[in-house]
Amino acid sequence: MTSVVRIPDGVRLGGMLLVAVAVQAVVTSRVLVLGVSADLFLVLAVLVALGRGSTKGALFGFGAGLLADIIYLEPVGLRTFIYLMLGYGVGRYSEILGVASAWTVVLLAAVSAFSAELVYGLFQVLAGQPGSFWAMLQQQVLPAALLDALVAAPLYLGLVRLGMLDPPGGAGPSFK
Amino acid sequence: MLRDPDVRRRLLFGALIVISLVLLTAFFREPATGALHGLQRGTLGYLTPLQSTATRAIEPFQEGYRWAGDLLEAHSRNENLQTELEGLRGRVVQLEEADQENRRLKELLDFREAAIFPAGSEFVVARVIGRSPTRWQEWVHIDKGSADGLKLNQPVVGATNATGDSLSGKGLVGKVVGVSENAAQIQLITDPESSVAALIQQSRARGIVVVPEAGRLVMDYVERDQRVEAKQIVETSGFGEVYPKGIPVGVVQTVGEEDVNVYKQIEIRTFVDFGVLEEVMVVISPAVPNVDESLMEKLNPTDKPVATP
Repeated sequence: MTSVVRIPDGVRLGGMLLVAVAVQAVVTSRVLVLGVSADLFLVLAVLVALGRGSTKGALFGFGAGLLADIIYLEPVGLRTFIYLMLGYGVGRYSEILGVASAWTVVLLAAVSAFSAELVYGLFQVLAGQPGSFWAMLQQQVLPAALLDALVAAPLYLGLVRLGMLDPPGGAGPSFK
Repeated sequence: MLRDPDVRRRLLFGALIVISLVLLTAFFREPATGALHGLQRGTLGYLTPLQSTATRAIEPFQEGYRWAGDLLEAHSRNENLQTELEGLRGRVVQLEEADQENRRLKELLDFREAAIFPAGSEFVVARVIGRSPTRWQEWVHIDKGSADGLKLNQPVVGATNATGDSLSGKGLVGKVVGVSENAAQIQLITDPESSVAALIQQSRARGIVVVPEAGRLVMDYVERDQRVEAKQIVETSGFGEVYPKGIPVGVVQTVGEEDVNVYKQIEIRTFVDFGVLEEVMVVISPAVPNVDESLMEKLNPTDKPVATP
């Protein structure tokens, strides 16, 4: 007779966030593609929101953003706010429309990354950060959106296989 | 009311928004030694050893990645530089060509200024555009013709690189034997049909420069009692209607005598290197008074105008 220990979902998500901290700090932040590095916190916030809905998406986004603010040494509360909004918004989207396929994940990750970077960039411009908004758009926002979308696809498939996320539409993950 | 999941969700969402804005406000309001800044520094302190270790572990991969990137960039740069180099090589060749042409034209100009030619002479510089394909005939085609004032039997001079003798390769080339509107045929003095009334500059001995066989230039009809030595300069004598007096032809190479021949056999070498001739100058002499044709025949039977076929 075997006893199955069910790990509470909050603990699993918390563990995922801690792993994300390590991977982001050690690996991801060092790999520059198109001049930017992928933001695992943002991608995970989107994926969790898609898989768990708006409440957990908002909570996870809040936590991921807070950790991102702390690790990136940025104004604490800024990414917290942005990722919270994203987590809630993407969660609501999945609750209302569902996740049709893995392509939805890629698209949502791209849109989310674009929105997050745009809001973050606008905040920087409003805060008096030197540099042109258009240059920031070209050099940071668009490449980051593209890279995060690319990272989202394999990460999503991996998390589904690990049982951390539900497959889209209840079936196995696919890009059909 | 709190049992309604929608309300709970919205409340939670609202609360989180408030918290994040409070955090943001607090972060900006607190000093650098504040709690939130301290939290960032503390986290950094925990992460730093982890990052340092990871840095060392990842470094070889990063180096490899960088090396691959550099290699690709170097490959791309190499291709660009090769293209640029080929372009520059072509440009250098063009410039060298232009430089050489300038030098040759300057030589021609110097030659023109040498006061050899009759006063009032005009000059037409032309480019050699064709050459006789065999040694049986020695002629060149030039890119100037009657439209430029060229006529039959006008003398043609040229300047090439010095061949080791005086005058730096400047000398007689030949004469115009055929003219069209924009081109002309020049019979070279090395053509077997050519003959040039000439004299030895030092001894003033007169003769006729002929081509007894391809590649050999001989000054014939020089009396045996005339004193001629090697290295003496041969120039046109001005006899005949074609070549004005004093145009350098060549230099004496060997002087021979035969018992059965009343004339000396004088081998000469031309000043102009016909193998590399690229530009020539046609001398348009001013009109000269008519000379008695019969007298000319007697003086120099071979140096007479050649009709164009």
